[in-house]
Amino acid sequence: MKTQMTTRRAPLRLSLGRFITFATLGFAVCFYGIPLLWLFIAGTRSEASLLTDPPFALGTWEAFSRTWANLTSYNNFQIVTWATNSLIYAVGGVLLSLIACIPAGYALAASEFPGRKLILVLTLIAMITPSTAVVLPIFLEMNLLGLNNTYAGLILASGFFPFGVYLAYVYFSTSLPKGVMDSARVDGANRFTLFTRIALPLAKPIIALVAFFSFLAIWSNYFLAFVLLSDDQLYNLPVGLTALVSGSGALSNLPSNDVPIKKPEVVLAAILVVLPVLVIFLVAQRFVRSGMLSGAEKG
Amino acid sequence: MWFHSPSERPEGNVAAVELRNVSKAFGAVSVIKGVDLSIERGEFVVFVGASGSGKSTLLRMIAGLEPVSGGDILIDGRDVTFDEPAERGIAMVFQSYALYPHMNVYDNIAFNLRLARLPRAEVAARVKEAARILRLEQLLDRAPAQLSGGQRQRVAIGRAIVRNPKVFLFDEPLSNLDAALRVQMRLEIERLHRELGTTMIYVTHDQVEAMTLADRIVALEGGHIQQVGKPLELYARPSNLFVAGFIGSPKMNLIPVKVTSTGVGSATLELLARGTPKLDVAVTGLAAGDGATIGIRPESLFIGATAAARETAALPARIESVERLGNITYAYLDAGTPEVITVQAVGDVALEAGTDVAVSFRASDLHVFDPRGTRVVARTGN
Repeated sequence: MKTQMTTRRAPLRLSLGRFITFATLGFAVCFYGIPLLWLFIAGTRSEASLLTDPPFALGTWEAFSRTWANLTSYNNFQIVTWATNSLIYAVGGVLLSLIACIPAGYALAASEFPGRKLILVLTLIAMITPSTAVVLPIFLEMNLLGLNNTYAGLILASGFFPFGVYLAYVYFSTSLPKGVMDSARVDGANRFTLFTRIALPLAKPIIALVAFFSFLAIWSNYFLAFVLLSDDQLYNLPVGLTALVSGSGALSNLPSNDVPIKKPEVVLAAILVVLPVLVIFLVAQRFVRSGMLSGAEKG
Repeated sequence: MWFHSPSERPEGNVAAVELRNVSKAFGAVSVIKGVDLSIERGEFVVFVGASGSGKSTLLRMIAGLEPVSGGDILIDGRDVTFDEPAERGIAMVFQSYALYPHMNVYDNIAFNLRLARLPRAEVAARVKEAARILRLEQLLDRAPAQLSGGQRQRVAIGRAIVRNPKVFLFDEPLSNLDAALRVQMRLEIERLHRELGTTMIYVTHDQVEAMTLADRIVALEGGHIQQVGKPLELYARPSNLFVAGFIGSPKMNLIPVKVTSTGVGSATLELLARGTPKLDVAVTGLAAGDGATIGIRPESLFIGATAAARETAALPARIESVERLGNITYAYLDAGTPEVITVQAVGDVALEAGTDVAVSFRASDLHVFDPRGTRVVARTGN
């Protein structure tokens, strides 16, 4: 009986609905996945190979290490400075947005106060406003504060993350077990300890999620950094690489110059920007999906 | 020993918990409508009622988790109406256990002691003592997710007893447990009350829990107290139709009657049943022409004209179905009344569905309720 149970399977039915589902998914995987695959393979190839070999031909270790050396050592290892800058902006901005978003979302979800609804609506409006629309006001504001062309200026500007507030609000208002909060109040937790000792430890998934989205936004932020920063020692990776690519003429088919930044170097630079996002995503999604709340209530 | 015995508490005849005209409204909806109640020190009081009766809301108001719309709440003689939950000297056990999922059992139990900034050694001693009382010693390192339902509930109780509260509040603590575990935990709570001697207020919709645990039962319905009394008092003399129908399992048979004539201290009732049998009862407060209700417990009904039942008229009925539980047998009868009549008989009684029988009862076992549902007669002889 038991063996029968395990070997029996629902017969595979190929209905039209199923076919459409799989066809759509297949198309999406190809459409979005192939460029990414190409990017990672292309990073190993020489310029000549990029121009003549088939699209998915693998390159050589020599070609890759030469490209790597060209890119990293260019202009006195300037790209390392930019990567470091990107990291500083990202870490600072993520920390700042977490410090602001998580308590804000909690306060909006867990308490009643005058103006709460208004703040929620304003948060939503700020969330759907395109960030490029506020770049100029931010620039003027930073100018006034004398924070243009500083680390602090860009970090302060990127800590503004209404989407994170909204995410935290939704999480706290739906996932925080009411009984646990009541119980902590009976146990003597005041509003502050309630947040720090109960809500915050249970909020790991949302902290990871907000951190991830905020990192993504800051890491790939080109326009704000481009406007706020004019000193090339303060550039982040997107701004720096754009300057590098346009300065070297690597992507325009100009007669060759002696700048060692060619197409392979540009490809590798693109990988450098994409890779941290992938790694962070893999780390963050584990937290997001973990069942932190199991066992709290009857579960 | 860090537990105070009740006698160590401040002296005097102050009630452990006193509610004075307490009311609660959510917007325009009134949930608790002026409740007055005094609970003695060391008493085990159970709030019973159907869902929506306001019993949990009332408990949460005593706990301070629900703001009060009107009236005063006193604990140990002190007005705590506007105090924070932690300042009231109460501890609460929730239906959902409400353990802190990110802390192990030890930290769950120690949490409130740490918030109260007790010295580390004192915390350890109290947690150890509570773990001993609740047999949790082996589980102190576990996370709540690794515990069974009964163990989680014991941790929740442990968290309450280390506070050494003046009053324990239980909000349907057993309703998430399976039947066998519920009996076991019920005994454990009863033992706890005996050992600690602390005042306990316990909310449940389960009348078996209410009957077995309570020193006094408070029956609630529609935000009003319907009756307060010892369990057997509520069982024997329910003061209105709600209590009559709620207390007792299987529930009391309620039969509508018509008052045909009244005398001095007596009335003649006509049962709205097959053959409209007439019945003389010693009762005051009914008027001829009233539609009243009589109630008879299933165990007070007899099938067949037994000697014991000779003093009353028999009710003709047909047996619809028979349930045999072994030790007892329930027979469900159609006597032409709006609801089926339940009769409890001994286990091996010879009853057959579909047969016509006569049901009889002693007049002294009768409960009579006036048109408003209020009890109008004590049992004859009382």
